[in-house]
Amino acid sequence: MRQTRREFLKTTAVGAGATGALGLPTASRAQGQKLTVWWNKGYYPEEDAAMQKIVKEFEAQHKVEVDLSFTAQEDLLKKITAALIARRVPDVAFCFYNDWQVVPKYGWEDKLADVSDLIQALRPRYNEKMLPVAYVMNGKTKKRSYYGVPIEAQTMHIHYWRDMLREVGMADDPAKVPMKWDDYWTYWKKAQDALRKKDPAKYGKLYGIGMTESTRASDTLYNFEMALLSFNGETMDKDGKIVADQPKNREAIVKTLKWFGELFTSGYVPPDATNWTDGDNNAGFHSRTIVMTPNPSQSIPAAQFFNKDDPEKKNYFDNMATIEWPDGPDGKKARYLSAVKTIIVPKDSKNQKLAKDFIAFVVEKGRFTEYIKAANGRWFPAFNDMAVDPFWRAGHKGPKGQKDPHVPVATTIFLDRENKVFEHYKNPAFSQVYDENVWGKAMARIVIDKWPPEKAGDEAIERMKAIFASYK
Amino acid sequence: MSSTTREGRPRASSRVAQLLRSRTTQGFLFTAPLLVLFGAFVIYPMAFGVWYALDVDSYRALFSDPTFRQTVTNTLWYVGFAVNVKLFLALLLSGILDFPFRWIRILAALFLIPWAVPALPGILSFRWMLNSQWGIFNHLLTKLGLESVPWLARHDTALGAVMVFHIWKYLPFWTIILLAGRRAIPSELYEATAIDGASAFQNFVYVTFPLLRNLYLICTLLSMVFTLGDFTVPWLMTGGAPGDSTHVLATLAYRYTFQMGRLEWGLATFAVALPVTLGFIGLLLRWVKI
Repeated sequence: MRQTRREFLKTTAVGAGATGALGLPTASRAQGQKLTVWWNKGYYPEEDAAMQKIVKEFEAQHKVEVDLSFTAQEDLLKKITAALIARRVPDVAFCFYNDWQVVPKYGWEDKLADVSDLIQALRPRYNEKMLPVAYVMNGKTKKRSYYGVPIEAQTMHIHYWRDMLREVGMADDPAKVPMKWDDYWTYWKKAQDALRKKDPAKYGKLYGIGMTESTRASDTLYNFEMALLSFNGETMDKDGKIVADQPKNREAIVKTLKWFGELFTSGYVPPDATNWTDGDNNAGFHSRTIVMTPNPSQSIPAAQFFNKDDPEKKNYFDNMATIEWPDGPDGKKARYLSAVKTIIVPKDSKNQKLAKDFIAFVVEKGRFTEYIKAANGRWFPAFNDMAVDPFWRAGHKGPKGQKDPHVPVATTIFLDRENKVFEHYKNPAFSQVYDENVWGKAMARIVIDKWPPEKAGDEAIERMKAIFASYK
Repeated sequence: MSSTTREGRPRASSRVAQLLRSRTTQGFLFTAPLLVLFGAFVIYPMAFGVWYALDVDSYRALFSDPTFRQTVTNTLWYVGFAVNVKLFLALLLSGILDFPFRWIRILAALFLIPWAVPALPGILSFRWMLNSQWGIFNHLLTKLGLESVPWLARHDTALGAVMVFHIWKYLPFWTIILLAGRRAIPSELYEATAIDGASAFQNFVYVTFPLLRNLYLICTLLSMVFTLGDFTVPWLMTGGAPGDSTHVLATLAYRYTFQMGRLEWGLATFAVALPVTLGFIGLLLRWVKI
């Protein structure tokens, strides 16, 4: 039977109304039983598989549905930012950038749930040095509290190609690489000169030092902060007040910037390093166009461990090594910074209790050990009971019985060296200083705009002060 | 039953029926879904954006940020220089493609490829070509005995690379538009100038360009509006590096909003460009007499 236009409109309107009336309550009923989890996509499929396994176990044990989605870190940060602003949030979110770009800022804006109860329950297990990262100020209540659950950390390491050093007769054993400040950096410069001289066709465009100095990369901040520690400078005091403009610290900042500027213009750092993203020094290292590179996290050796073109893992066990940051110009042993990756629960989550149960479930020793080991040593656990696992001191065993030259070095840095967490937790303004990559900008002023380090340092300090002034 | 009351006024039901019979009401009813969508996805976000952008503190923050000042200059270069070079080249190339030769048609087809290539692989390929260590441009320079250039690590060459890619990518599109404009010019005019003994240059100056002028200006304005909001090319080519010196307003707004979580700064950045965009659109509407 043919419908008239009027009948068609009437049917459509009734249909739409019915869908709305019946559909919406169904959706909201389902929302009550479903936990939405946004998780950072792992670098290796094994990591994602381990998380999926945990989620299945949680669903079975708690009789709830978990909507788990994996997103790459750059996209996930934007997704979390948009969700928190729009107040349409997941129940749990874990992004590698949470620690410095989400927790300080949105804790300050009162958009994150207070998870102090969960932290207290987990406290006996924690490596206390890693906990402060989530203890941030709430701008509304003017009180500090835990607005995130730290789970795993990364710190600074330096990787280099041993076989390249061997090729030009230089000592390739990490124990024989000079650790004094000037000698250390000169060593890699010598390697570049020797390799270029030996085989200009192969190594004519090789560089000794893959030092990221770009505003596009968070590695730049890591490099700057590490060097600033070596030059005995600090930008904030223990209360989160800016001290970068104090004469001693200004001098250290200027020295640090001058050092970066001279390193870049000396011709031993790839010219594109001012335009690198976080992955570009990794790519340069894997393609063997740089001899060494500083890199937070063990992503470079971990990628070589999974290199399908190298089934005997010669690169991982024999051809490359991980080494520590050198002693400072004053001869003091290097001091380190750790970035501790943190899970958040948004304040607008309707399932906060379940979200906390989920996090507690994830970080249970056996379960979380399996997850973190799937990352192949890329991250170090924030829990002492997991850090005592022999894996962290011994690492992998090579097919020919070789010792692991990477994972134990990272463990030494975490457990045996002076190591503190990044200090953005002290003041949310510091998070913005990093967001703006103020130090990368200062480096660019020196190497591109040819500013003297004093002027670049002063501009950066003034910018810092302006940012800090906006958080009161 | 009468459709009027005793006082002679139409009854309510008949008034509704009359209203429903009105063509204007029917027009509104049938366009209502579109109007609702327009309201939800154009008016509401715009009003929301303007409301957010009204915060004076945001502008104070923007103008105190050295990156913002540099960004405004970059945007003026990008919109003013790249668009005009592109349109001028398009005007010249449309003249070449207007020749009635078979090989020209093949050339025109090839010429369209950059426009058809998706932006992402195009930009990534270009970035690789510009790499200072293994890029083909520096390889050729060193073969010729010249110094290699860190193209994307210097402000001028990095911004230049953004503009060159923009021109390369969008030149074919505007060339085809101007070619269509040329083809619409009556051939009788050229026959008349041929009888008068006009040269090719005189043909261009006295016939072609005056008749293409309006189209050319409209294309320029449209391209300026598109380019002012262009995010893809600058972001994928340089990401604002080196030293945040190659941002344009679109990429800076994105950086403020999604990298720094400062929605109000991002919207204020767009609001700075809004009067210019509206000015271009106003001029455009006047020209096409809408």
